[in-house]
Amino acid sequence: MAVAWIGNREVLIEHAAAHAASLLSSSRCPVLSFDTDIDGTRAAIALAERAGAAYDHADGAALARETALFTDKGAMTVAPGETRRRADVVVIVGELPRIQHGLVGELAGTVPDLSTGNQRAFFVVGPDGMSVPPLNDGRKATRLSCGQASLAATLAALRAQYKGQRTSQPVSNFNDFAKALAAAHFPVFLFSGHAAEGLALEMLQGLIADLNRKSRASGLHLPANENGWGSTLASAWMTGFPLRTGFARGFPEFDPWRCDVARMIAAGEADLHLRISAATAQPQKKRARMALIVLTKTEKPVAGAAVTIAIGEAGLDHDAVVYSSRTGSLRSIDAQAASQLPSAATIIRLIATHAFAEALPC
Amino acid sequence: MLTKIAGGDIIDPVNGRLGKGDLWIKDDKIVPAPAGGAADRTIEASGCIVMAGAIDIHSHIGGGNVNTARLLLPEQHAAHQVRPATTPLSNAGWSTFQTGCLYAKMGFTTVVEPAMSPGAALHTHLELADIPIIDKATLAILGNDDFLLSMIRDDAPRTMIEDYVAWTVASTRALGVKVINAGAAAAFKENVRTFSLDDVVPSYGVSSRKIVKTLQAAVDSLGLPHPLHVHCNNLGSPGSADTAAATIAAADGLPLHLAHLQFYGYGTEGKRGFSSAAARLAELVNATPEVTIDIGQVMFGQTVTVSSDVMRQFSARGSAHPKKTVIHDGDGNGGGIVPYSYGKDFYGTMQWAIGLELFLLIDDPWRVFFTTDHPNGAPFTAYPALFELLMSREARTEMTAGLSRSALALSTLAAIDREYTFEEIAIMTRAAPAKLLGLTDRGHLGAGATADIAIYRRDRSIAKMLGRAAYVFKDGDLVVQDGEIVHYRWGKALRLKPPVDKAMVRRLEEYHQQRYGLSLDWFNFPDSAIAREQPFGEVPCRT
Ligand SMILES: [Zn+2]
Repeated sequence: MAVAWIGNREVLIEHAAAHAASLLSSSRCPVLSFDTDIDGTRAAIALAERAGAAYDHADGAALARETALFTDKGAMTVAPGETRRRADVVVIVGELPRIQHGLVGELAGTVPDLSTGNQRAFFVVGPDGMSVPPLNDGRKATRLSCGQASLAATLAALRAQYKGQRTSQPVSNFNDFAKALAAAHFPVFLFSGHAAEGLALEMLQGLIADLNRKSRASGLHLPANENGWGSTLASAWMTGFPLRTGFARGFPEFDPWRCDVARMIAAGEADLHLRISAATAQPQKKRARMALIVLTKTEKPVAGAAVTIAIGEAGLDHDAVVYSSRTGSLRSIDAQAASQLPSAATIIRLIATHAFAEALPC
Repeated sequence: MLTKIAGGDIIDPVNGRLGKGDLWIKDDKIVPAPAGGAADRTIEASGCIVMAGAIDIHSHIGGGNVNTARLLLPEQHAAHQVRPATTPLSNAGWSTFQTGCLYAKMGFTTVVEPAMSPGAALHTHLELADIPIIDKATLAILGNDDFLLSMIRDDAPRTMIEDYVAWTVASTRALGVKVINAGAAAAFKENVRTFSLDDVVPSYGVSSRKIVKTLQAAVDSLGLPHPLHVHCNNLGSPGSADTAAATIAAADGLPLHLAHLQFYGYGTEGKRGFSSAAARLAELVNATPEVTIDIGQVMFGQTVTVSSDVMRQFSARGSAHPKKTVIHDGDGNGGGIVPYSYGKDFYGTMQWAIGLELFLLIDDPWRVFFTTDHPNGAPFTAYPALFELLMSREARTEMTAGLSRSALALSTLAAIDREYTFEEIAIMTRAAPAKLLGLTDRGHLGAGATADIAIYRRDRSIAKMLGRAAYVFKDGDLVVQDGEIVHYRWGKALRLKPPVDKAMVRRLEEYHQQRYGLSLDWFNFPDSAIAREQPFGEVPCRT
């Protein structure tokens, strides 16, 4: 089975890695984007440092909003396990990513055993028509909306009404919500950067802070992308900074605008893009002055890529450590169908040994 | 390889070796002087003092809360200075990489992360595995978790509680057990806002005292070398000295370690109702031989407080500087991140003085441990300056010049003449930590010990001398020379491996299925998940 290509020409992995390394070494402004496990992230960041590259998640925008909540404002958060066992009111804030729908269904199918009432009420905040994850047994979450007002505006209205202030447009079903809150012991708000803009996430934290003046409440962070949040954690411990960090000057600099890799590519700043993701590669727009190196799970070369190398999928082809929203921490998973395909980390380290004399530190 | 460290002033209180002499290393161990042996390498150490590598028993260097603090404060650790990019990640400010390098440069070779949430054990160990050069270890947090509180409420047999503690320590690869504001995090989830030693967690009817005593007994009975590590209630409040005194009294003959006592050294005297109770606490510690403490010294400047005492951190939100915090309700403790700047005002001066009073008024260097509770009292990079304050009365006097006079007036610091000797420093930062943690292979320079050695060139400035070691050996590898890293290597995480009871595993499997809808597999991990050759080193339990 072919696993490596230079252009459309099938080659040995060693040759493909060597060619990728030479492209990387001669690049003036390389960028890395990835969607990978913890070990892949560690290898990618170590390579980015050697290459003087900026790095980001492959779909970085939603993660950047979640990251900004922490870097700029802070938050009150709760573990998913405590949410399951304690949340007597669950509020779905905005549209949640599909990968998180299962957890919402699970919350709907269970009762909080550490809560005296042993029952859960569901609310959803967001404009009319916004899609809501299915609850079980045809249960419906009570809608809190201000018509077509944005999520941030609706949360602002909710917060104002809770404080007894007048609002230009009242929130639908507010009285039900107020009643539920008054009886609740531990309401939990489910949030994600998937569809919520930064202002909405901040507004939600304001509401949670207000609630905590007299009683308890918290927010459950459901990352827009689990690999992405895992990479954010690994990036923080390795460099001190989250994703969208760059090594252009030899030391890590976090700059969520400047090191937005999608922006760097679109603006023509990047002259080399190393894309690392086992997921099927979307066809890349060919850019005249940018070399593309793709590590992905594929049986054929990726169109437009100078180098394509096949990698396995974490947790399927090989054992891995990944972030899990279900535990709110990192988790070790076994390969479900172990294969010969190398991990992203293996190939990244192979490229690094060709590009730089010494082995990567991790 | 045979190495001779020639002509240094050897300070090895454990083996009674004090004075000029040679020290021999073969591979990774210290060996007796070989008969007529010729060294492959000689380190000229005249004009230097030679001690075992230092051991930090309480420094928050990795894991969920520490990493959240990094996320919260990108501005706090922007790269300080650009260095040649020849060493990997050498320019990252507040990273795992820097943590290992900065500790090694000061001659520290083993550091304990004292607050690992059991559910985040894999994350914690992955971070620790990325800290180069030094060995690490963790303490697993218990005492706010539903499983334990339910067992105590239900009067579960002692052995069952011990089985649970043993399983926690074994499965999380910990070196000991810590309890943090016992019961308060659980009570906070039920909207309780203050919590003291005899307060009761509402849903369980279990007091904080009962949790501490239960865990203390289990740790002792299981033969875990390190006594229960206690973060008391009421941290930081005026009058918290009463809580600390009550906790010391509660030790009741069994070993107990109280963390960062400085943060409880507060009385209620003076017009601000905030005064030093250090002399009183020091007297109690002196009179209670089963108790050990570390200080948690405050040094001035910007830092960030990182604590699993979620109730305390929540109540401290108003003091955040800059104004942003993270408060997390976790499965057991959770935690809070509150950035803070210690100023030279009344309160800052008071805290600073109380820490030093405790250091200087507790007589036995075997029972008082050198910490800033990094980063809570100060980052560990403040250690050299702190050594100087302990070893030089003159340095203390100089420092007090710019501080709050009204605070100093409420403290006994100015009246204390004591200056720590190098021998006492060697006890407090080497011999005693090794003993407290059950690490018989280190903390001393006797034959057979692991070759963790710190060599400091004598200098008029103690801070300069102890801040940049002339040479550091880790497991016999020369890792630091003239204060710079000369060799990168990976240390291990030291762990206990108490036997695990199968019935307890079945019980926990059932519990996790029923309460969380998850198999225990979600929390377990193989050593291979750490992706390093030998990530762990095993330390035996007491028999
Ligand atoms: Zn601490």
